[in-house]
Amino acid sequence: MGKMEKQPRINRRKLVICIVKTIIISAIAILFVMPLIWMGLSALKTTNEVFAHPFKWLPAKPMWSNFKQVWCVENVNMMKSYGNSIIIVFFSTVGQIAIASLAAYAFAKIQFKGKNFVFMMFLASMMIPGQVTIIPRFMLFKSMGLYNTLWSCILPFWFSTTAIFMLRQFYIGLPNDLMEAAKIDGAGHFRIFLQVLMPLTKPAMITLVILAFIGSWNEYLSPLIFITKQEKYTVAQAIRWYLLDELQRYDLTMAAATIAIVPVIILFISCQKYFVEGIATSGVKG
Amino acid sequence: MYKKKETLIGYAFVAPALISFFVLVAFPFFFSIFLAFTKWNFLSGFKGIQWVGLENFKNLLEDKLFIQAIKNTFFYAITTVPVSIVISLILAYILNGKIFLRKFLRMCFFIPYISSIVALAAVFKFLFREEGPINDMLMKVNMISEPMKWLTNPSLSRVPIVLILIWSAIGFELIVYMAAIQNVPKELYEAADIDGANSFRKFWKITFPMISPTTFYLVVVRMIAAFKVFSAINIMTTGTQAKENTSMVVLIYGNAFSDYKFGYASAEAVVLFFIILAVTIVNFIGQKKWVHY
Repeated sequence: MGKMEKQPRINRRKLVICIVKTIIISAIAILFVMPLIWMGLSALKTTNEVFAHPFKWLPAKPMWSNFKQVWCVENVNMMKSYGNSIIIVFFSTVGQIAIASLAAYAFAKIQFKGKNFVFMMFLASMMIPGQVTIIPRFMLFKSMGLYNTLWSCILPFWFSTTAIFMLRQFYIGLPNDLMEAAKIDGAGHFRIFLQVLMPLTKPAMITLVILAFIGSWNEYLSPLIFITKQEKYTVAQAIRWYLLDELQRYDLTMAAATIAIVPVIILFISCQKYFVEGIATSGVKG
Repeated sequence: MYKKKETLIGYAFVAPALISFFVLVAFPFFFSIFLAFTKWNFLSGFKGIQWVGLENFKNLLEDKLFIQAIKNTFFYAITTVPVSIVISLILAYILNGKIFLRKFLRMCFFIPYISSIVALAAVFKFLFREEGPINDMLMKVNMISEPMKWLTNPSLSRVPIVLILIWSAIGFELIVYMAAIQNVPKELYEAADIDGANSFRKFWKITFPMISPTTFYLVVVRMIAAFKVFSAINIMTTGTQAKENTSMVVLIYGNAFSDYKFGYASAEAVVLFFIILAVTIVNFIGQKKWVHY
């Protein structure tokens, strides 16, 4: 009898703990997104309201026109910057994964002279941060005529030791039987790579797409150095321009920042599973 | 031993990676080291390169701003990395337990990580204005009596920078930790339950040692990232004259691309490289003491 009475009480206690935990963590979570909510609300204010002192949360009348202005009216408009950033993200991701897949396949499945040396050389280069080599890179790109082109922001992503290493581990894990069967059918390495094995590395490629996306979308140093023409600005540069050059129109700066952040959040919510898995595998395996 | 044809095909597959490696990493790296021993204004062309030996490094030792930048960079690294990792670990542990709204809450913590850091810094710069909302709120609850100069006072302006770096790092660390905690075998907790261990003890005796490789990974990765910090500080300090808060990469960028002192900036970059190398080596030596594989 006593036991039967005790059971629900424990459950109730657990439920209370669970609710208390939820409330505490929710409070912290709200604190986390508060600046972003404030950003979104400020984007709807007039310039006077944005600078109002003491501050108000809500605008008297939402100024949706702010978004329109930063999206397509201003000289530095977010529509163009978005286009530029999307081009950069697309080509840097595709290039990185294509180059890394080829190399990873060779490291995992082809026996060739000097393989280990090349691989160790790549691994060692992980210790060289891109920021350290930015000056010669500037010189090089400038003499190659890449100054003020989006290529200057795309190419640096094409060599990624992390991508090569991760894909190599994945290719090693793929059974050799598949390869042997294709070989008997007369397929060469390139066909085996393209038609048999590469499609199987999709999970690893998704992880890398996510990581490359976050990396190149947020890249700021390269565009700052290589891109000076306003029509070539990336999203990050456009925000900087609003912040520094646009005569303290903070409502517009916040509208630009909102436009920069919200689509990425929506993208994240709709592919949350891939984002989370991608980042988790990159970390747990390391 | 190796078939010639295989070797040829092997190199054909590795060729794109090798070429991009030499062009984007190897050549720039060795050229950086070379430039560190020269005096060169890029505008004067290649003929303008002057070999000056160790002069740049000698000057660096007396460069107060450079020493300050090193100190600041260390300050940002040793404040933001441990704090964000501890917060992420606690949040991950709680979020992996019984809790409502798990996915939604995880998303809230993750959003700052995927958001453009330039946009986040722009928001912070406005929140922390002298007449901004942060001062308003702090004065309302009587924590301060007059507005603080968060952006212009050299020591105070570190606060928003550190906050933004922690804020934007937690999403990544949280997700890595949540995955690691899920990989801890359930049997260990069941055994601890039988022994009557409480939640805190289970965390300290089981979870923490079991996920120590993940903690080590995060410390190394975040430390390296912290020494390369640029975007947030560049945005927070431009237009405020708060040069005292500069980080190493911000300083390298300024010396190279505003002052065109390519040789001098390269010397700074080489120092940064060796600092990151040293910090990583120290981490790898230290791991033997506390990481359980």
